[in-house]
Amino acid sequence: MSLPAGSAVVVIALFAGAMTSAAAAETQPPPAASYSPKGADSCLGCHDDASLLGLFKTKHARPKDDRGPFGHGGLQCEACHGPGGAHVAAHGEQPAGIVDFGPKARASPAAQNAQCLVCHQSNAHAWAAGAHAANNVACAACHTLHAPQDPVQNVATQVDVCTSCHESEHAASLMPSRHPMREGKMACTACHSPHGSTAPWQLVSATTTQTCTNCHAEYRGPFLWEHQPVTEDCTNCHNPHGSVQPALLKMRPPFLCQLCHEGAGHPSIANGPGGLPGAPGGTPSVYLLAGGCTNCHSQVHGSNHPSGRALMR
Amino acid sequence: MEPLARHRYRLHTLGALATLAAGTAWADTPAPDMSRWKCEQCPFVEGYEGNVEAGAIYPSGANFSFGRYTGIDANKVYADVDATGQYRDAQGTNASYDIEKLGLPYGYGDAEVGREGRYEFKFLYDWQPTRLFETGVTPYLGVGSGDLTLPGSWVPAASTAGMTALAATAAPLKLEYDRRTAALLGSYIFNPALALHLELRHQDKDGTGLIGGSFLTQAIQLPQPIDYVTNTVEADLLWSGRRANLRVAYTGSWFQDVTNSLTFANPYLPLVPGSTSGRLALPPDNNLQQIAAKGNVAFDWLATTLNYAISLGQLSQNAGFLPYSTLPNYSTTPSWSSLDGSVNLSHYSLAIAMRPLAKLNLRASATYDGRDDHTSPMTYGYVITDTFPGPNGVNPLYSEDWIRLDGSIDYAFTRWLRLGVGGRYLDTVYYPDPVVSHTYDTRSWGWATFTWSELSVTLKGGNATRKADEFNAAALPPGENPQIAAYNYAARDQVFYDLSGSWSIAPTLIWSLEGFYGNNTYPLSQLGLQSADERRIATTFTWTPRAGLSAYLTGGYQTLSAQQNGYTSSTTPPWVVTQGERYWNVGVGGQWAIGQRWNLALDYIYSPTYANTDTEVGGVAQPFPQNTTSLNSLRIDLRYTWTPAWQLHLLLLHEEYNSNDWALNNVGPSTIPDLLAFGLQPLSDNVNLVGLTFRYQFGAGSKPSTP
Repeated sequence: MSLPAGSAVVVIALFAGAMTSAAAAETQPPPAASYSPKGADSCLGCHDDASLLGLFKTKHARPKDDRGPFGHGGLQCEACHGPGGAHVAAHGEQPAGIVDFGPKARASPAAQNAQCLVCHQSNAHAWAAGAHAANNVACAACHTLHAPQDPVQNVATQVDVCTSCHESEHAASLMPSRHPMREGKMACTACHSPHGSTAPWQLVSATTTQTCTNCHAEYRGPFLWEHQPVTEDCTNCHNPHGSVQPALLKMRPPFLCQLCHEGAGHPSIANGPGGLPGAPGGTPSVYLLAGGCTNCHSQVHGSNHPSGRALMR
Repeated sequence: MEPLARHRYRLHTLGALATLAAGTAWADTPAPDMSRWKCEQCPFVEGYEGNVEAGAIYPSGANFSFGRYTGIDANKVYADVDATGQYRDAQGTNASYDIEKLGLPYGYGDAEVGREGRYEFKFLYDWQPTRLFETGVTPYLGVGSGDLTLPGSWVPAASTAGMTALAATAAPLKLEYDRRTAALLGSYIFNPALALHLELRHQDKDGTGLIGGSFLTQAIQLPQPIDYVTNTVEADLLWSGRRANLRVAYTGSWFQDVTNSLTFANPYLPLVPGSTSGRLALPPDNNLQQIAAKGNVAFDWLATTLNYAISLGQLSQNAGFLPYSTLPNYSTTPSWSSLDGSVNLSHYSLAIAMRPLAKLNLRASATYDGRDDHTSPMTYGYVITDTFPGPNGVNPLYSEDWIRLDGSIDYAFTRWLRLGVGGRYLDTVYYPDPVVSHTYDTRSWGWATFTWSELSVTLKGGNATRKADEFNAAALPPGENPQIAAYNYAARDQVFYDLSGSWSIAPTLIWSLEGFYGNNTYPLSQLGLQSADERRIATTFTWTPRAGLSAYLTGGYQTLSAQQNGYTSSTTPPWVVTQGERYWNVGVGGQWAIGQRWNLALDYIYSPTYANTDTEVGGVAQPFPQNTTSLNSLRIDLRYTWTPAWQLHLLLLHEEYNSNDWALNNVGPSTIPDLLAFGLQPLSDNVNLVGLTFRYQFGAGSKPSTP
């Protein structure tokens, strides 16, 4: 039995009505709140630790910047922490309504983030679509806003912040083949957008290959003779976070190449340890040692040589 | 913009859909009386302040292995200077600088000037070395150039054993390159809602890498000149509204390879007359032009946010062709002289996130990515490795379309339990010669977050199936065995589990954990990769008994295993290779503020790896020697605060790295008959480093200021 088209509209309307009613029921208005009598001066009367005053060395505390909380008409501390009138009136004994931040915060991550997103929608425009939002991560889980230098915004220290949760990536950063993250010369944000992205893995560019070639532009091509897995996705062959194998490879040649290349015109060879130097009865093998297949097929990322069809020129 | 209007302390909601216009408005928090908001106690920066840390380091035993990304590769004294400073006046004019590792081979510096809320300009310069190997030798002259010749005394031979002049002519070779980046960044803020950002970036890489050259089956390891320049322009216009924002961006990137070919003399006896040199193409100049628009719109209705992103770009490459060969009879280029290659890149994405109930989250996204290669396919002649002609061929084009749909829903059943399910559908089409088109379904079928008191655990599991909708064996590249259904084309079944969590065992002790298990099988692949299995776990204990004292213990373990097989010919039994990798890391350290003046930090890392390759040919097992690496690193930082302005920093570092690699072990320049090799040996180092620096803090300091 088919329902008339109008029925679908009614069903959708009822569903949406139910949802919005439920939403209204769950989001009761907050109790009447008021701001403090003297703004930041009210706060700093008590909250004067050196660790908090570091904020005044940051871009959040620029009194001539009307975009910021300390700009003209800005709500100062209460721009982020919410109206603190009741808190002040109770001499700090009634923190209800104050939005606090950090790992021991009473405010939920969503409530904390809502404060940040009031101003930072434009540079976190894809936040709602990202994995961090989906996993209920608070902005303050990564950002230390009262520090003169937020560690997550410094290339040298960012990796420590990110890998405090992404522990596998911390382990990978110590692997024999890796990017220069341990030396503080590359940040996670060289490849990833922690504030959300519509690309896979929250990458900074639309695809993996486009992200990699932002730095490795020599492999961007297009080449006369392309290597299909290179055009498709660098991670077909490479592990970007680190590898036990050289050059961030998933396997070493010739075995990596023989995952795909089994051609009758170029028979796959059962490369065994008989091809190693000193193997009894064996001959050191050009197909196995040093670069393996790449000793001859050196242009694995593509060749622009008219005779480069087999990626040997 | 009125600040209060930006401050969303109100919650608007709408009634049922039938009465959309009759939304209920919540009362706003009353606007404050700001007449007493003087910010008199606010210690805004005013005047000039900064600090400089200067001293020296001395490494003992340093080499390329130790200095891989730092360039600290020699036993000598290196100056080490860091400095930061900032200036700000009461009108909001500000300037700052940051210098790191001045005097060391790797470092960074920037300087910024601006006026608060109006404009900012920043210049930065970064230098980054990469040291690859210093154990190689080569007989070639002209290293670093595009023309490699052999010494006049060179004796060509049919194999490396007969190259009698090799020992006398082989000269040490260092494989290394340096990257330098200079950038100018500017921002102009038209008003709080509209800003323009501009970045001009110039990067060059120069040095020597490794590339293989060959004459049919006789190969040579060659020093590749690296002389790359990349110039990039990025411009972003940002508009931020109360409920929506939009970023419009342009990116232009131009890559130039100053040396576009590498000609090399043939060290072997020519297989055919005249085959005395070869020529390799090096990466061609290319450029990328891209425009993008991305942003979001927020709706009160069901707390919905809509994200969108569009980008359109084009890759172009039109570098002039090299001749077909160095052979005199084939020294012409194709008549059209260059590729005129062009690839269109496109990305369209729409994502929606809704929170219809405080406990319910819904997310969905649809993304299209396209890589459309519309280079003209043409027929090219072919000279195989500058030796003899082969059959003509047409350049293949590889284009891909990806359509990805993602969706998830999660609901907090109780304060301590949130459950969710999700899925992904990916449709991939390869064209214009459709070897395969496939769909890829991923289902996260058990996604649970347990949050109980101080314990939070998220467990995710799922399976994924990749299956070919169409597989056209005839369209495989020439010479491919259709049985293999190549690695990234093959049907695949995947099971995965993902675990993460943290537990505040006590107020001073936190334990965190991350684990992953993934198993892939390729049920329809008769050859090639048959299965792959990945397991990893990483954990950290952090103990902070009091301010100024903390310690951590961290560790990780990872295994990767894979099995593949192949046929040398249809008349021989299949060979089988099993790869197995194990990787460990253990770290322990801490920090201790001893009294008011001393601060001690200690970090120790031990990280070994083991890689096994076991082959089986004709039922007979033939294991390779095990490849291993091990890293031992102990770092001690001792800081003494002499006065509030002066601080002393003593650094002690011991680092030891060893590796064992059957592909390099005992492979000298002439070990392999048909490879004239560099003779690179596995990396190792054993370094003791001591550093002493003094830090001085100076300037006006901070003082209250009136906004």
